[in-house]
Amino acid sequence: MKRVLFTILIMLFFAGTSYADRIRCASTTSTQNSGLFEYLLPFFEKEAGVKVDVVAVGTGAAFKIGMRGDADVLLVHAKTEELRLVNEGYFVDRHDVMYNDFVILGPVDDPAGLRGIRSAPIAFSLINKRGTVFVSRGDNSGTHKKEMSIWKTLDMDPRWNKWYLEVGQGMAKAIRIASEKRAYILADRGTWLAINDSDDLGMEVLVEGDRILFNQYGVMIVNPERHGHVKYDDARKFVDFLISEKGQGLVASFRNKQGKQLFYPNAGK
Amino acid sequence: MNIVLSNISKSYNGTRALRECSVAIEKGISTAVIGPNGSGKSTLLRIAALIEGPGSGKVSYGEFRSADDVKKLRQLIGVVLSGDTLFNDSVYDNVAYGLKIRKMNKNELRGKVSDMLASLSLSDKAGKHAMELSSGEAQRVAVARALVTEPEYLFLDEPTASLDPLNTEIIENALQEIRALRRMTIVTVTHNMFQTKRIADRVMMMYEGKVIEENITGAIFDSPENEITRRFINGIMVY
Amino acid sequence: MERLFYSIKEAFRLIITLDSEMLGIVSLSLGVSIAAICFASLAGIVLAYALAFRKVPLKAFVVSTMNTFMGLPPVVVGLVLYLLLSRSGPMGFMKLLYTPYAMVIAQVLLALPIITAMSHASLVAVRPAIKYAAKGLGASDAQASIAVVRYARYGIISSVMAGLGRVMAEVGAVLIVGGNIAGYTRVMTTTIALEYDKGNFELAIALGIILLLIALILNSALYMYQRKVYR
Repeated sequence: MKRVLFTILIMLFFAGTSYADRIRCASTTSTQNSGLFEYLLPFFEKEAGVKVDVVAVGTGAAFKIGMRGDADVLLVHAKTEELRLVNEGYFVDRHDVMYNDFVILGPVDDPAGLRGIRSAPIAFSLINKRGTVFVSRGDNSGTHKKEMSIWKTLDMDPRWNKWYLEVGQGMAKAIRIASEKRAYILADRGTWLAINDSDDLGMEVLVEGDRILFNQYGVMIVNPERHGHVKYDDARKFVDFLISEKGQGLVASFRNKQGKQLFYPNAGK
Repeated sequence: MNIVLSNISKSYNGTRALRECSVAIEKGISTAVIGPNGSGKSTLLRIAALIEGPGSGKVSYGEFRSADDVKKLRQLIGVVLSGDTLFNDSVYDNVAYGLKIRKMNKNELRGKVSDMLASLSLSDKAGKHAMELSSGEAQRVAVARALVTEPEYLFLDEPTASLDPLNTEIIENALQEIRALRRMTIVTVTHNMFQTKRIADRVMMMYEGKVIEENITGAIFDSPENEITRRFINGIMVY
Repeated sequence: MERLFYSIKEAFRLIITLDSEMLGIVSLSLGVSIAAICFASLAGIVLAYALAFRKVPLKAFVVSTMNTFMGLPPVVVGLVLYLLLSRSGPMGFMKLLYTPYAMVIAQVLLALPIITAMSHASLVAVRPAIKYAAKGLGASDAQASIAVVRYARYGIISSVMAGLGRVMAEVGAVLIVGGNIAGYTRVMTTTIALEYDKGNFELAIALGIILLLIALILNSALYMYQRKVYR
């Protein structure tokens, strides 16, 4: 018995030391839920000999993790803020990597009558006017930031309305809640397409294609001058891989279980 | 080695159990300690048996001071306390405990334990759990586990209280048998005056935390010097 | 409904074929929780013994704190530990955040109050006579203490099992300090939460079944062990 426990402790001690180098990437739930990392990382890890540990949180939380020095590299989607934080010296070497877009999902019977509308702000104002239930991430994630910026174009604060539900959950969970509540929701297309059982949810894409719904993903490294322990060289290898021809090709060739493309590479464009 | 207790005092939560009590217990002698409830008999026994330290005063075994040699001296001692004091293990494990503490090898241990169980008519109970025993059986196990280590000093606190005559006889016979083989020192706290006469060479009478009279058994019962002793052994209230 | 049946069928297939991803997650879960329980038991039982039989400053305060902390919300433990272990926190130099070690620490903190409080309750119920009896049979003071702990062993083992049950089922704290990193800090509960998000119910159901089985096995073993007393 004692020997068994001892063995377990030793195993635990060496767990995770098999890679000489490992870097930590703070990223978003939408990227993780899509399965992109599982597809992409083995190529990089084999090529560079660096293991990437992905911690998936909201974009806002990923910023905090990076600013506290608890990650080496970030892959997130809130470009305006990314550029601001680079300017303020928290991060370096920011690059566009890929994009997809946000969509407004709603119940198939569409009680607010959004189908056919092209403009996201007009769709939001209709939801407001008719008071149909709307689910918000409410977690400071990239999607939440985008949603707030759309409300802002209408010059209104939707919070404290009875029809407005801030759920404080990841993207997929928020979509499930919207489905149960027969509510509208702003979601990134990647997560929507990645949900395996989306046919059962009784929801569909009602508004898409507006310029404001463009969703840019970017990569950046935690400034090693702020946090000396950041593995800049290995993180740099990861950034270079993502924006390389090979990395970009892999992003383009990634398909979800239903065979759909979720991300479009646009590094250096 | 004679046991000498000098000027022992002991209090529990402010209540004094022993008051500057001094006693000498002679080697190889069987001593009975009698006295009313609350007179300090059990406390005296625990301190003499090195189970508890004295509040003040000192205990010595021959030239050994208890404070310095507790570990070594405890190996020479066996104790049977009053009440339910068995470990929640099998009868066998209870009896083997003292031998395991003394690091006896397994084969020798097995032999000693089964001999001891036999001499207390417990052979068929070896595998039973201590919680399943009758009170008579439980007390016989308690005696067996104290005797199995062949102690030079044996302390018994009301070893047959609330037992029927048969169980009492089994226990007293086992003690007599062992004593016939080796003259060990025995100290017995008891309320049973007949038992005192049967087993004790000497008697100590305790009252209010002190030994007030001590003599050979015959003398104590025939001609007690202290008035309290006389009233106590004649069954008259002494409180 | 069709999808549900399919998911359940697939879950059993994963279990029966001992899917390697699933096994990795299960063994990491067990490794982290068992390591945490070893540390928590050692510390908890010693602490409980000291609280029961030794002079300890602020004893009543410590005991009531332990009783209160039995219900400590795991996410609070996770949050506090995150702030401590973060590179910008006071213990950041130890580089423990988002590692299995951080998860072990979180689970130790969650299990320690349960083990301490429940063991303490079992130990104080042991009569002084048991300790006296051990000393009277030749035990040294340390050996007599072991005899007391042994006497209380059924209650103490129950407390260890209760602690293990809590940490195995816990998700909030390990998610925060472990980061749910695939193949490194992803344990059964955090996988279930993630796979639910993704709508991949097969692995989630399979792990749920395994968690239940482990709980069942632990409790049956405990029941059998305790029943030995009244054979």
